[in-house]
Amino acid sequence: MERTVFAYRRKDGKVGVRNWVVLIPVDDISNAIVETVEKSIIGVLSLPHSYGRLQFGKDLDLFFKTLIGIGTNPNVAAAIVVGIEPKWTNKIADSIAKTGKPVEAFWVEGHGQLRTIEKVSRTAVKFVEHVTNVKREPADISELIISLKCGESDTTSGLVANRVVGKFVEKFLDIGGTVLFGETTELTGAEHIVASKFKKEEDRKKFLELFNEYQELIRKQGVDLLGSQPTEGNIVGGLSTIEEKALGNIQKIGNAMINGALDFLEPVPGKGLYFMNTSSAAAEAVTLFAAANAVIHLFPTGQGNPVGNPILPVIKITGNPKTAKAMEEHIDVDISGILTGALDMETATDLVWKRVIETACGRLTRAEILNHKEFVLTKLYRSA
Amino acid sequence: MRGTKFTVRGWEAVIAFLVHKDGDDVGIAVIDLKKGMTARGKTLTGNREYSLTVLEDIPFGHKIALKNLQKGDKVVEYGEIIGVATQDIPKGAHVHIHNLRSLRWGGE
Repeated sequence: MERTVFAYRRKDGKVGVRNWVVLIPVDDISNAIVETVEKSIIGVLSLPHSYGRLQFGKDLDLFFKTLIGIGTNPNVAAAIVVGIEPKWTNKIADSIAKTGKPVEAFWVEGHGQLRTIEKVSRTAVKFVEHVTNVKREPADISELIISLKCGESDTTSGLVANRVVGKFVEKFLDIGGTVLFGETTELTGAEHIVASKFKKEEDRKKFLELFNEYQELIRKQGVDLLGSQPTEGNIVGGLSTIEEKALGNIQKIGNAMINGALDFLEPVPGKGLYFMNTSSAAAEAVTLFAAANAVIHLFPTGQGNPVGNPILPVIKITGNPKTAKAMEEHIDVDISGILTGALDMETATDLVWKRVIETACGRLTRAEILNHKEFVLTKLYRSA
Repeated sequence: MRGTKFTVRGWEAVIAFLVHKDGDDVGIAVIDLKKGMTARGKTLTGNREYSLTVLEDIPFGHKIALKNLQKGDKVVEYGEIIGVATQDIPKGAHVHIHNLRSLRWGGE
């Protein structure tokens, strides 16, 4: 099994597979600046979003962790943070700077938009020149953090794609890799199985607390998630209940044991397999994993979900032959041959492994090629 | 190149449905099942084979009942409960949201 990837080794020791200069707006009203700069300078990536004003408490904390986490992700080589005022802007920039990567902060108040655009642009030119001179170096595949989330699942997910990802995960963990999974509500009906896999009792308890916390939030609204979970796409694909969907979902972690349970963007304490509390909505979960410093995402899909992320390459894997044909341009690894007997599980797992190596070395994923840059912050409650 | 290596070979001598675990109440159609056909199935590990008459058209990816189920029976897939039968479901029938309901959400 090939293990060497050619990737970017950052000053903090982390290994990234992309080399972006990101322009991070602190708030919705700074999007205009970063979007303007992105249009005039090659090699920069703006990350516009809808939040950053009047958030408070746990929600504000998660907001900061998300933007800081995106900046510290090893797929990011340098960052420019742009906000309306200096305090929050510097807070984010200073935290990213601890990684040792080039970071600058600019704010609009007292300067105006046009002068700020000029300052951001001049810094961006220098950063792009600098980061494009950084060379890829050999690294072991186990140094990568890989995240998992499936989407537009159907019954082929539980039969084929999620099972193959589960086999990949077992192999990857065996050589010391790190894997993150989440989708808290989509474990409903299989949470007892997930709970039984924690290595430590305290993590099992914490997982169940996080799981029950969201179930309680649903109950408090006086509703349930029927109509949302399973989704209409899931139902077309043959999934009938949340329990069935969840039992398919958890095939992604195979028979691996879980090293820990983490709330939203709690630091990943070491190597191994970790549950992280996330939304089950694709773009939200993938963005959260990007902020948790995952550098490659495996996304098994049944009916075909086109989701991508600006900084985290998303590898689409399907076991559904109809989707592989109808949505060909979205699919990176077609393992639908398993259903016809044309492909066995081992070979399919090797195909995923090979694609992870290639993606880590710079091969673009279909989501990247198709310009999918969904950047969706997880919001815990409404702003003040 | 992609798309050429794993060309679907056609469905000859096919396994028409797959079963996650021996003892499950449902299997998953891996071809479009047609009313009246005799469908062959097997568990994923291949340790058990099935043969039954399909009672109605069941699209690819949808579930087929492997035994007679009564209204109120808990329905098992993956060796786990996936919901409850909301009506009697005969062996060979389509099992989906019209006759299977979550025990977690959507209850009265």
